[in-house]
Parts: sequence; C-alpha cells; structure tokens
Amino acid sequence: MKGPQIAIENKTLANGLRVVIAPDSAAPVVTVGVYYKIGFRLEPQGRSGFAHLFEHMMFQGSANAPKMEHIKLINSSGGVLNGSTMYDVTNYYEAVPSNALSRVLWLEADRMRALKVDDENLKNQRDVVKEEVRVNVLNQPYGGFPWLDMPPIAFRNWANAHNFYGDFADLDAASLADVQTFFKTYYLPNNAVLLILGDVKPEEGFSLAEKYFGDIPRGPEPPFADPNEPPQAEERKGHVEEKFGTLPAIAIGYVLPKRRSAEWCAMALLDQALHGGRAGRIYRDLVLEKQIAVEADGGVDDIFGYNGPAQMTTRIFHKPEISAGATLAGFDEVIHEVQEKEISTDELEQLKTKWWSDYYAMLEGGRGGYMPKYGLMHLLACFSLFDGEPQLVNTILDGFLQVTPEQVQAVAKKYLRRENRAIVFRAPANLGAQKEAA
Amino acid sequence: MATASTQASSAVPTLSGERTVNWPKRVKSKLANGLEIILVESHSIPRFHGELFFRSGNAAVSHLAPGLADMTATMVRTGTSKRASRQIEEDLRRLGADLSTSAGQDTSAIAFAGLSEFAESLLGLVNELAREASFPDPELERERRQKLEEVKLERTQPGFLAGERLRKVLFGEHPYAKVSPAEAQVAAYKKEELQTIYRQSYTPENALLLLVGDLDPKAMFGTIEKIFAPWSGKKPAIPHAAAPANPRGRRVYLVHVPGAVQTQILCGCHSITRRHPDWIKLGLTNSLYGGAFNSRLVMNIREAKGYTYSPRSGVTPLQQHGYFSVSAAVRNEVVAASLTEIFYELDKLRSLPVPEAELADAQNYLSGVFSMGLATQDGLLSQVATVALNELPDDYLETYRQEVRALTPDDLQSTAQKYLDSANMQIVVVGDRGKIETQAALFGELEICDSQANRLS
Repeated sequence: MKGPQIAIENKTLANGLRVVIAPDSAAPVVTVGVYYKIGFRLEPQGRSGFAHLFEHMMFQGSANAPKMEHIKLINSSGGVLNGSTMYDVTNYYEAVPSNALSRVLWLEADRMRALKVDDENLKNQRDVVKEEVRVNVLNQPYGGFPWLDMPPIAFRNWANAHNFYGDFADLDAASLADVQTFFKTYYLPNNAVLLILGDVKPEEGFSLAEKYFGDIPRGPEPPFADPNEPPQAEERKGHVEEKFGTLPAIAIGYVLPKRRSAEWCAMALLDQALHGGRAGRIYRDLVLEKQIAVEADGGVDDIFGYNGPAQMTTRIFHKPEISAGATLAGFDEVIHEVQEKEISTDELEQLKTKWWSDYYAMLEGGRGGYMPKYGLMHLLACFSLFDGEPQLVNTILDGFLQVTPEQVQAVAKKYLRRENRAIVFRAPANLGAQKEAA
Repeated sequence: MATASTQASSAVPTLSGERTVNWPKRVKSKLANGLEIILVESHSIPRFHGELFFRSGNAAVSHLAPGLADMTATMVRTGTSKRASRQIEEDLRRLGADLSTSAGQDTSAIAFAGLSEFAESLLGLVNELAREASFPDPELERERRQKLEEVKLERTQPGFLAGERLRKVLFGEHPYAKVSPAEAQVAAYKKEELQTIYRQSYTPENALLLLVGDLDPKAMFGTIEKIFAPWSGKKPAIPHAAAPANPRGRRVYLVHVPGAVQTQILCGCHSITRRHPDWIKLGLTNSLYGGAFNSRLVMNIREAKGYTYSPRSGVTPLQQHGYFSVSAAVRNEVVAASLTEIFYELDKLRSLPVPEAELADAQNYLSGVFSMGLATQDGLLSQVATVALNELPDDYLETYRQEVRALTPDDLQSTAQKYLDSANMQIVVVGDRGKIETQAALFGELEICDSQANRLS
C-alpha cells in the first residue's frame, strides 16, 4: 500500500496568502477553494453562531459583485458553489468548467478584499440561518444529536463548549459592526489559503493568483482564543430531551490524542476497528449480535480537519425495552475487549486496507459526484493552515500504515477511560425518564 | 477606488474558450444468459465503482405489500450459502470495499466500490449475493425489528410526511402512491415472499452490471464472464398498473404535527418521464424556476424575503410516470406568503417569456453541471446508469449540452404552461395545525390528517 503521488505546487504571496495548486487535466473542470483560519470554535463570546452567520454574509455582496451577483456568476458559468463553517476553518468553494477559472478567482479576491453588505442583508441572512437551524435541529428528530448536544457536556472552555449554530438571542444581537470587525480581523490574505485543483497549469494558476489577490493588503496576525481544555478528572454526563423521535439514544465521546502524534494514528485505526461500518465491533456487537441497539454508528469526524480538542463519538439508538444503563454496559464490554486483548494482525490488516481505500475515495470526491476533489482540497487546506505543509497529503498515510496491534491496545487503555469521556442521553419525552442503571 | 490595480479588478473576467467535453467510451456487451454489461474507464484513483441493477423494485410487488423489494434487498447482504453475515462484512473490509443493497420503486440494486486490485474478489462476492442469498431466519427477525423502528421514526420527520402525502395524492391507487409500509405490513412480511421476489427478480435477464473506474475493459470483461456466465434466470413478469388519475383543481393537505416550529411545504403535479421528448425542456424550465441556487424561487423566498433556508424544485422521473414538485421549510408565520410566491413564480414563467440573458445563464448552468459528472468515478456511474436504465439514446451524454443550448424563450414558456400546472397543483403542508390552518385554507379545500395518516377533518 503506497501513498498517493499527487503533483502539488505551493507558494506564498507577498501579502501572506498561501497558494496551493494540484494540476490534473483529466476532466475540463477546476475546483477552487479559499479557506480562512477561523471557525466556530474561535468566534467571540456572546456571539455564538457568528462564524456561521458570517459565512452566509460572504455571499451577500463585495465591492464589485453586489448581492446575488456572486452566485449568479458562478452558476451561469456552469458551476456550483458553497461554503461551510467548521471548528477551526471556514471554507468557500466552487467547481466550474475550467474556462471560468479567472472569473472564480476574481470573485473570491473581490470578497477577500472588501465585503459590502448592509443591515437589510444581515436581517435577511439572520432569518435564513434561523430556518436552517429549524430545519436541521429544532424541527427534526434527533436534530443536532450529538454535535450540538455534546460540547456543553464534554467541555469546559467556552471555545469548545458553546452552541455552534448559535442561540437565537445571540444571532439577533449580531450587528453590522460585528460583521465588519470580524471580517477585518480574520478574513485576511495572511490568514487564508487559496487552492486550485484540476484543469489548471501551475504557472497559470500562480500568475492568476498574483493578479487577483496580490494587492490585497495583509493585516495584523489575528488573535486566537486558546482552545485548550483544563484536565478532566471525571466521567461527564448530561441529558437532552428528544421532542419528536421514538427511540432512546446515547452518544459517548472520548477526547482524542494530540493531532499528528503516533497515538493519534493508532487511535484512528482503533476508531476503524470500533466504527468501521457493519464489520466494526460496535455495530457488530450491539446491532447484529447482542441486538441491544437498532442503530449504532459514529467515529472521528473529519480527522484531518480540526486543530484543537476533538472526540471520537459513538451514537447508539437502542431498543426502548433495554435500559440506557444496560445499553451502556453493552458498549463498555466492547471497549473492555479492545483494552484487554490485542486486535489480531489479520483484523489490523483489514483496517489498514479499508483506511487506504477510503483515503483515495475521499481525495477524489467527498461531497458526492458533483464536487470533484473536495476531499483533496480540504486536506491541502488543513495541512497548509495547521501544519504549513500541504505535501502531507502524499505522506500522512505512512504513519497510519505503520501502526501495530500493541499501539492500538495501548491507546485503547490510555484514552478510552471514563475520565476521558462524556455521555449524552437523549431520551424521547414520551417514553418517560430512562433509567441509567440496568 | 482610484488605484490602477483596483480599477483593473472591477470588471468581471470574461470566460475563456471552452475545452471540449469528451465523455469516455461506454464498452457494452451482453452475456449469453442475458446479463447486460457496461464498462467505463476512469483512472483518477486506483479504485472502481460498480452497480448491479435489477429492473424491478417495490412497485412491481406492491400488490403483495409496500417495501417488499426493499426488505428483499436488505436480506441479500445478511448471508449466503457460503458466507455468514459476519464473514461478508469482514471480507468487504479486507477488499477495501463498500457495498449497499437497496430497492426503489423501479429497480433493485447492489452498489459497491473498492480497490481495483481486488476487483475479482469483490465481483465474486457480488455474484454470490445476487445468486446465493440464504435469508437466515434470525437475520430476518433482526431486520424486521429494525425496519419496524425505522417505520415509526420516519413518521416524525417532516420531509417524509410531506413526501408520503404528496405521493398518495398524486398517484392514488398506483403502486407509486406507497412509499413506505405500515408497521402491521412489516410485521406480516413472510420469508417465502422475499425469497420468491429474490428468485424472480435477481436474474441475469433482468440485470445490468455497470462498472466505472480504474479498469481495463477487455480484461474486466473476461473476469465478469468467468464469474457471471453460469448464472441463469428469466425476466420477471411485472403486473400492469393502470395509469393514475391526474388530480384536478388545487387542494390542500395539512399533516398536523403538534409543536412543530416550522412548516414543511411540498407542492406537486404530474409531469413526465425521462423518455418523454419534452424532458430536456422541462429540465431547463425547472432549473430556472427552482432547481439552482441562482433560480427565481431561491432568489425570491430565500435571498429577498428570508422565509426559508432550502427552497428547491425538481422533477422526479419514475419509470412509468413523473412528477414536478416544489419544497420549502418555512417559518410558521409565512406559510401563506411563501405559497403566494411559489405560485407567483410558476405563473410568471407561464405568462411571460424568459429574458434571453437569463435563459443563457440557465443553459450554461445546466450544461456545465452536467459535465461535472465526468470528473469523478461515482459521478460518471450515475450519468451512465441514468442513460442505460431509461433506455435513452446512446449519444445522450454527447448531445445533451447542445440540446439544452438550442432551447428558446418560447420553448420554456410553452413547457411551463404544459407542466408547471399551477391550477392543479396539490399542496401539502406539514406543521402545527393551530399555527397554519387558516393560512393553508386560503389556497384550496383543506383536508387534515395526523402523522399516522388518520383523517382529522
């Protein structure tokens, strides 16, 4: 199993903007991304949900592309676009026929240079975001489970523990001045990376990057809140009422080892052993064999894409006739097994093969068949912003492929401890309080 | 704004010359047992995507019970005469592969993807699932329980409730009206029924095997022949379903969900299948109406008015009939206002010709996005599958863009008049009756039921 050999060229413009190009002329399509090193973890206190609301504002107009123009220009070039807010980064991306490359870069540069939005735009997008929260969280069974439920239970540092989608009161309090301040603080060339992937020649890509982005002034290095957590000494638990759903659910999250350490690699394979689909031990034991649960899934979400505390999280929807306590005991048996007994070399080989295969699949797509190279873009961006090393895309696999059964067992013992975990119980209101004890 | 560089950057760059879009060759063949095969090369990564389709799904057996083909597909991966469930799952992992089995209204399918170096082993497993599934009793009882819980849970999802209601209203007695079984029907599923469906529909004469990826078609054909040639079986007889009545006049169907903090709107009317000569015209009309971010509906009720996050329109082309629908999840206070705008935009497209510039934008969008499928293995697979399963012309992928670009404002207006049938649109709203009933009643005669489909008024 060899790592990929993707041609990657990168350089940094005088204003600090990192530019990464991965040429591939197989299809006449180019994918462009701009990643800013600011996510919901680092948004200002008292302004929960602001990083995401701000992401919406980036589609509302810039100096030379008024409201609706950005979307219109991309769509009418035959392309698609979107943006998303994550823990530590926010991205904006487009996939277009390659004859629209200059236009896309011009648009991204225009909104990096100067956002031009008014109160009406802000009110409009505040309304849109509230409907987004309703459709995804407040009006859905298990909405926000566990990605919004877990942080306030698991973490103590506000950066990690607050409501990332935003309390409506905070969204209402956000002002146009907040928007411009946030823009001036974080949306700087020296706090961003530009990715151009697909049908582009590197020299052409760099020269267009210079042409459109080169004169955007750099700004002072943005201040970042410290996302580190105080040490945890106890198991943490919390309850969230399920308003619509019919099954009791439990989520268990364990804090991960430090990013890019040997333990982190071993943890990733342990995660595969536990959560790798229907062959994973958790699904196999709880759903297929013991049949405690109706559904069980989870794992580390976007392992390369975070730059602060993160968890491996299991979600279990269990049978109502089985108590939460008995369900948790069943889960603990699975954990106990990987702590007490080394996984076989045969199992570890399977896990590595799957990991390797999944890695390639992720590089090619990652957001369905119509956002080519989303995964490659995401990795190049995160390795640039967090590690200063986009070439890690070609070498990062090595660490995972070297993991031994002893290392997997060692991280299971060290990290899958009760004092390193938090549990969310999400029980339907109409089932009455679930007993925790078996 | 006076410096030379900002001056230079204030004009939108024009598009440079377009690179030709070359669709890869589809290498087609057929085994003596009737199995159709299509192979497509795409060497972007050392993997391949495949799908073994069977041309019959839930609709073909809905006279027995809804969802039977789906439960059959679910059982197919739970055991064969050679491998138990656990072995199947571990072998998939060993091959670096993913696999899923499912059934829609018109097809059943085994979809898979994995490393090219293990293609033969993966195809061997797929062959085993298609021919030797053993339907173990304990697996059936486990899957039945999971399905029962799933059926209960889906009745708490606004999107499901809206879709179920609309299909019932549009398709009446036709099999397409039934999107999901009731609990009692799941409880009554019989193993023998599932096995009969499996025997009759998982046959080479009923099947299409499609592979896209890092493969050599010649060598791959040899592998396929070796594995699948011994298989045999006829095409199943599919009972004829009478065409559904096309509902006349607007009616409003409210699904009451107490405590809902938002209302799911879904409106729809009969339209056409992909084989219909107007398909591309309707595709472009839909794209301009509500099928793209830059469409009229999105710009109106999201970007101008802020009523909703995710408005969308689409055409669902089932094999026998198609339907057009518009959806939006809106805040409770603006249900009537949103419906007003939904109908305003429909009627505007029916009444006024589309400006040339807007038409050109929509044509560019649709033809550009169509070609995006080229760039990934799964994108290609879905394009090639669409052509094959709908028996579209062989050069459909090659000619699509020019057909889209040949359409005129007149074409769009006449298409809108024909298919965006606002006078006969059926309206479903899922939400809290107390908050939305009077708003909904403004749009037509109102029928109210609860989430279990019991009539309330």
